[in-house]
Formats: sequence, C-alpha cells, structure tokens
Amino acid sequence: MSIFKKHNTNADRSATDRRRHKEKIEKAIKEGIHDIVAEESIIGQSGKKKIKIPVRGIKEYQFVFGRNQGSKGVGSAQGQDIKKGQKIQDGKKQQGRGGKPNKPGNEKGEEFYDVEISLDELARYLFDDLNLPDLAKKSNNSVTAEQIKRKGYRPKGIRARLSKKETLKNKIRRQKQAVKNGTYDPDSGERFPFHDDDLKYKHIEVKHKPITNAVIFFIMDVSGSMGKSKKFLARSFFFLLYQFIRYRYEKIDIVFISHTTEANEVNEDDFFQRGSSGGTYISSGLNKSLDIINERYNPSSWNLYAFHCSDGENWVEDNPKAKLAMQSLIDICQLSGYIQIIPEGDNIYGTEMADVFAPLITDSFKVLKLTKKEDVWPQFAKLFGGKYDLKQ
Amino acid sequence: MTSNNNYSIEDLKAWDDKICKIARSHGLDWYPINYEICNYYEMIGHMAYHGMPSHYNHWSYGKSFERTHFFYNSGQQGLPYELIINSDPSIAYLMLQNEFYLQVLIMAHCVGHSDFFKNNRCFKETDAKNMVSKMRNAKKRIQGYIEDPLIGQDRVENFIDDLHTIRFQTQRYNIPRKSKSEIMAEEIARYNRLKAEGIELDFSKLENGLLRPDHDILSFLLEYKTNWKTWQMDLIEIVRDESRYFMPQIKTKILNEGWASFWHYKILHELNLSEDYHVPFMKMHNAVVRPHIGGVNPYHLGFYIFQKLEREHGIEKCFEVREIHDDVSAIRLFLDEDDFRELNFFSHQKQKNGDVIISEVADHDDWKVVRSDLIKNTGINTIPQIYVDRIDKDGTLVLKHEHDGRDLEIQYAERVVDHIKNLWGDQVKLYTIIEDEIWEV
Repeated sequence: MSIFKKHNTNADRSATDRRRHKEKIEKAIKEGIHDIVAEESIIGQSGKKKIKIPVRGIKEYQFVFGRNQGSKGVGSAQGQDIKKGQKIQDGKKQQGRGGKPNKPGNEKGEEFYDVEISLDELARYLFDDLNLPDLAKKSNNSVTAEQIKRKGYRPKGIRARLSKKETLKNKIRRQKQAVKNGTYDPDSGERFPFHDDDLKYKHIEVKHKPITNAVIFFIMDVSGSMGKSKKFLARSFFFLLYQFIRYRYEKIDIVFISHTTEANEVNEDDFFQRGSSGGTYISSGLNKSLDIINERYNPSSWNLYAFHCSDGENWVEDNPKAKLAMQSLIDICQLSGYIQIIPEGDNIYGTEMADVFAPLITDSFKVLKLTKKEDVWPQFAKLFGGKYDLKQ
Repeated sequence: MTSNNNYSIEDLKAWDDKICKIARSHGLDWYPINYEICNYYEMIGHMAYHGMPSHYNHWSYGKSFERTHFFYNSGQQGLPYELIINSDPSIAYLMLQNEFYLQVLIMAHCVGHSDFFKNNRCFKETDAKNMVSKMRNAKKRIQGYIEDPLIGQDRVENFIDDLHTIRFQTQRYNIPRKSKSEIMAEEIARYNRLKAEGIELDFSKLENGLLRPDHDILSFLLEYKTNWKTWQMDLIEIVRDESRYFMPQIKTKILNEGWASFWHYKILHELNLSEDYHVPFMKMHNAVVRPHIGGVNPYHLGFYIFQKLEREHGIEKCFEVREIHDDVSAIRLFLDEDDFRELNFFSHQKQKNGDVIISEVADHDDWKVVRSDLIKNTGINTIPQIYVDRIDKDGTLVLKHEHDGRDLEIQYAERVVDHIKNLWGDQVKLYTIIEDEIWEV
C-alpha cells in the first residue's frame, strides 16, 4: 500500500538558488552597463521608461545541434493532409515577430537573454551598493514642492470635480426619505430628479512641502581635441551621474556648460552634439559654473554637484586659474569631480589636468581617469565609494 | 478546500487500495510509492530539482524555478499532472489543486512508472534504493565546500558551471568504460603476448596506447588530469553519477510514459468508476495521449506502441518490451510502414531563408527516412556526441564531434570548449564539421 503525506514544510526549497540567480542577473546587468548607457538620452526620460539590457553569463551552455540542412525535425500530423514540400513555417514571419535567425538562444526560449527593466529599476540595481559621500542633505524651506491631496467633499466646486458617487448617494437617501414620508410613490413611474442640494464635489487641497533639492553641473571641454569616442565616454559617465543623483533627490536641476576658451550654458543636445574647434581654458567652464551658482543657486539652500570632463589638455597659462576656480567649486559643492578621458593609445602633450588637480583631492573631490568604456562603471563606483568588485 | 477537491487522505488511500489490487492482479511489480501532497508552488519547487527530494544547490535550479513559475503564471504552460522519481520507495507528488478523479488517474499512472523503473533493463544500475540518500549526502558535502573558507561559494559555483556544460557527455550505451589502469593492464598483456611471439615493441611507446577514444568526458577528466583537489573530484563524481542516474529516463521517455498510460487506462476501466468520474477521466486520458500536431508526444507514441503490441502479440509481449527495450529499439522493431502512415509522421527541414518545409512524408519511398529522423530526435540522440580523441604532446586536449549529418551550433560549442578549458587547465581543441568542411573550435 502506498503512503500519503501532506507536505508540511514552509521551507521554500529553491529560495537560495533563486537568490543566486538574481544576483547573477544583477551582476550581468552591471557588467553590461557600458553597452546601454551610451544609447540613452540623458534627461527627459521618466523613470518608467523601459530599456533592454543584454544579460550575459546566465545562459547554460551545452553542446547542441544547429539548424543546417542535415538537421531535421519530426512531427506528427495524424488525421491531416500533408504533402512533401509543404511550407509549415514562414521564415519572414518569424523574423517579423522579433526572432533573430541564426542567433543562439532565440529558438530555445532563453527569456533571460534580454532583460527589460525600467530606469528606476536600473537605478536600484546599480546604486543600492553606493552611497553619497556622508554629507548632510540641505533642506530648504523656500523651495517647496506642490503636493495635491484629496480632502473630503464640498457642496460647491467645478464641474470636473463632481463626485457622481456621492451625488447619487444623496439622491437615494433623499428618495428613501420621501418614500417613508409618503411624498413619493416608487411604483408610480414618476421620475425622481436630482436636486441642486444633492451635488457633491471632491475637495482638493494643495500642500507645500519643503524638499531637498540638487543641481548638477555637467561641464565639458568641447574643443577640437574632444573627438567622438571621448564624448561617448563622457556621455556614458554623465548618464550614470544623472541617474544616480536623480535616484537620491526629489527635485533636480541640470546645467550643461560647454567650453573651449570660453564657456556657455547650452541645452543637452548641443552639449553632446556640437563640436567646436580651438583651444582650451579649463578655468572658463569652472568660472561659468561659479557665476551661475551666484545667480541662481544659493549654496546654503541647494545641494550642488559639479563634474568636469575633458581630455586632460589645457593651455599651460590657464592651469593656476583652473586650480583656483576648482578649489572654489569644491568648497561649495557636496561632491565634485574631474574626469579625464584619454582613450587607450592617445598621448598627451604637457601636463595632464589630472595631475594639476591631484593636490585638491579630498573626500568630496575626486579625480578619475577613463580610457575605455569598460572603465565607466568601476570609475563611477569609485566616485561614490561603492563596493564594486573590479575583478572583471 | 474548495468544492471540487473536498476529499481526504482517507479517500485517496481507499482508491489507492483498489488500484494496487488491480495492478497486482495483472502482474505489475512496483516499488512502494510515497505520495507527497503539495501545492502548486511546492510542485514547481520540486520540478526545478527533477523531483529529487534533496538536491545540491546551484543557481541554475533557481533559474529553472523562475522560468516555470513565469510560464505557469502567464498561462503559457500548465504543470505536469504527475511527477515521480525512480527510487525505492518511489516518491510521487500530488498537487492539492487537482480534482479527485485526476488524483486517481495519477495514482494509477504512477504505478505504471514505478513498475517500469523497477523492471526495465536500462534502470538496473541506477541504485534506486540509495539514490535519494546519496543525493542528500552530496548536497551536504557541497554545502560544506561552500562554507569552507578555503573553497567558498564562487569556486564551487564556477566549477559546477563548468561541469554542467558537459554533464550529458557520458556513456550512452551499457558498454562498460575501461579505466586507465585496465587499459594499462591490457597493453602490458598485449606487449608480453607479442614478445612471446617474437615481436618486440618499443616499450617507451606504451604510453601512447593508454588513451582510447573516450565518450565519458567527466570520467576522463577525473582520471587523466592529475592535480584535482579532493572537493573537485567529489563534485565531478556527483555530477557524473546524477547524469548516469537520469540517462535511462532520457532513453525511455516514450516507453515509460506509454507504459504508465497503458496501465492507467486499463486500471481505470476496471475500477468501475461512476459516471461523474468516468467522463472527466476519459477526457483527461484523451488529452494526455493525443497526438501533438507538428511534434512528437511521447505519451501518445508510447501508448500507441503498447496498444499495438497487446493487440497483435498479447500482454506477455508488452511485459517483455517494458523489460528489455528502450525508445530507439522499440521504434526500430515495432513500428512499420503502416504505423508511420497511420501516425502520419513527417520530417521537416529549415531552409536557408528561414522557411520550414516538409522534406519527407511517411509514404512507401520515404517512411524509412522519416523513421531514421525520428530516431535522431529521440532521447539521448538529441544531444551531440563529443569524445576525447587524444592528448597532444604539448598538453592540448583534442576532442572530436561524432558528426551524423547534423552540425553543431557553433556559438554554443565555443562557449562549452571554454568551460572545458577551465576544467582541463590547458588548451582544448574541438574538431567538427560545419557545412561539409572540417571546423576547429
């Protein structure tokens, strides 16, 4: 005779293995980050926007057959009419449905190959291990966010806020009362119309709440020497910065400053697209930021962040000025950084800016070097004191 | 409990008694069965570990769970009605959500499976008595390696990653593999025999003869690579033994499911079910053994084979086939042209432009082609066969693919070779044929 027993454990037996699998996905996402950040427009994306991330390393490889001519499948068609040469699947239609032919994984239903996540999730994956430098967020009572809250019902209001449910309730209440009092006979077929007193409107109260807020200055050298590949790295880096700071603050302003020997505040498109020619004064971009801070962003009420990307070249006579301006920025910023982008194989003439700024390094000022796209994430993590493992 | 499954364990026991009585009267001889009643979530958990009550941890089983869970919840996939493992006693799972008639059907089905496990020749070496406790112990040991600060999770996990890529590159047929020392003994005997006949071989060349083409890559690595750590040797054996344990199930999927369906059908007819049970039972049975248009349903084909055998040769023949055959031999011996026509099997082929066309139908000229394609798509034949050819002087391990007309998916092969390099610790080459040209990975 067989034995029957109820499974009575609460243990979720695959929990450990699911956690490891999830960790692997997250690790793969982090490693794949440099492939995606370059494709995303930096701002103007809501956190809900979905992006696709190619996730590697969680596929299980074995020897499998491909689909050459010798590799045939077999099927049954019991009770159906078939003939030799009949087409049973259209290659074009398959492609149309998003299947990429000749690519491993698609046919085998590897649903984890491309992971689709929202920017919010991406931020959570990426940034949970990182911390802002231990600096108090400044809160400012004069900067508030409007918060709209429902608060009961009122007899007067605008049409759009009419509460049909409450209005109907009032009418029914009145109708029942009328029946009870004998003033209305429900079986008479007579209408029982709405009355002005039945109308109820939703009441809305606007609350002002002090918020912590931040402004990020993205400063970039756009002189002739900043080629496409350097800008690509800068863009990737700025993307991460933006996402990260956005993740920590409710309200965020971004200021783009591009400079050659002169600096201008520009919009995002110009910032990344427009190239200029000519020389470089690093100080011009820094001073422009200081000017804007003076005009619009009082350091006592704003959390300030400033990051400067350049290829490390500068006119020598500008170096002392740049150093001075950077020091002024460091003094008022929560965090600032100088990111020097020199692709592998490029040489630099004269003194590197990284060396000029090196003496200024503190907990709130970092100097980073990018040479290839694989550096983006580790260097970014370094900026925020992350525990990211550089083993890869 | 909802209205459609308001039955108690006592009810299940009562029906189990009836099922067992009928099964025994027909001469079925199975392991005792322990039924575990679980909910769907636990069922998915057991499925992830192939029903083994205890199994070592690895992220791939978490992935498997997530995948099944996702497909189940999105309605793209149902759950199997039965899950039973080859052990003595056999362990089977009954899902709480199943309706009562379905539980009765599953119990009758499980008796068939357990009888197959116990009696089919392929399962003789699977050590059904001890497998559950062996796996439990393996899990404990691996947990120990993970917790050992000198080994740790990453090393263990990466090593299992490597091993899993070649877990099915093992012995396919019941031909015992010769160990290195056995080959050595044979070579010495040969040397001495020839010497006695007056032919002197160069003794120093003996070393060259010590490697025969070896299909059991895991066993090969265990013997021919020297500097394994103890925990690594243990892991290789654990993974290899599990593959050997599952190999008979891969080879007998059609017959095993066919046999279980054949018996649940017979038993339920003899149970004298009331109308309320009989009709849904017949519906369920027909759904289980229906042909899958465009594919091969092992329940359908296996049920067909046993019904045909009973019709033409009597029940004794059925018992004989369940004892000595596997899927490939049964397809070869018991399905003829008429059957292929009746089942309307066809071969299909993917064209360069991505279209899939019917290349052969089961007519007089081509039914044997369709049969050979069916055999290629059955059980272990769906996995390419790779073997160790030699070790070159510089330490390179040379593997070859036994090409049977089907090319390897080359991107996959490259990744697997990378994993084998991790294991071998030196260069690894794989030779295969891609589009009629020799190809080296």
